[in-house]
Amino acid sequence: MSIRRRRHLRALIPTTSMADLAFLLNIFFMVTSNFIKEAHVEVTPAASPDIEPMKETHISVTMDRYGGLWLQGKPCPVDVLEAGVRELMLEHSEKAVMLKIDRDVRQEKFGPVFLALSRAGAEIALVGQKEKE
Amino acid sequence: MPLRKPRDNFEPDVTSFSDIATLLIIFFILTTTFVATTGSKLEIPSGSADPSQADEKQVTVNLAGSRIIFGPREQEFSIEQLRAALLRENFKAKDPSKRIVIVNSKPDVTYELYYEVVMAIASADGVLALIEEEGKGGPE
Repeated sequence: MSIRRRRHLRALIPTTSMADLAFLLNIFFMVTSNFIKEAHVEVTPAASPDIEPMKETHISVTMDRYGGLWLQGKPCPVDVLEAGVRELMLEHSEKAVMLKIDRDVRQEKFGPVFLALSRAGAEIALVGQKEKE
Repeated sequence: MPLRKPRDNFEPDVTSFSDIATLLIIFFILTTTFVATTGSKLEIPSGSADPSQADEKQVTVNLAGSRIIFGPREQEFSIEQLRAALLRENFKAKDPSKRIVIVNSKPDVTYELYYEVVMAIASADGVLALIEEEGKGGPE
């Protein structure tokens, strides 16, 4: 007597579209990622209860705890800041400049930065962190 | 002359591409940090003026060390008292030219104090004014 073998169906999960999904996710991350230009600059932001979330701008000026000034993540002497910011404002067609200063820096260092930005006609977006009231 | 055998259709092996894509996703997921920027926007009118000749009714804040000295009576305030005093000025109801608050700060003032004062002025709808003294590189 011949024994009839049962036919087994192999379960196959179609994984071809997984690769497409993975590539689409990669493209999404690449397009939406905004790399921090001043990742190497040590800054402890000042705190205030009067601040709100704000939109990031293309132009950024940072002053580290040692009074070093950085424009778009590159070192910049304070005397050329005004010209540099003017150029970037024209390039990006934007007046807003994100200003981040370390909380321990003294006025003799940050005062000229405010003046240079004011002379350049920039709209200063002061970056800080929310302090609980 | 021997005839060339027709070549089979050439298909590159793309199986490992999906592995690379998955590895890239893992890399992006691990390295991405979502940063929510917080702060406040200011428009600072610049000018060259002698603070002693400022309008008597103009609000002035003097900063020296960790001290906040407010108004013509030169009262020493804490940051909370300054916030309350600025709110009492009711800048919102005033003409933009009357909203100006002059901040004179000494070179030893830290940005932490300056920032709190500037933010208090901005939240009370005041307009911060920087004073650039003749012959000096920065505001005092």
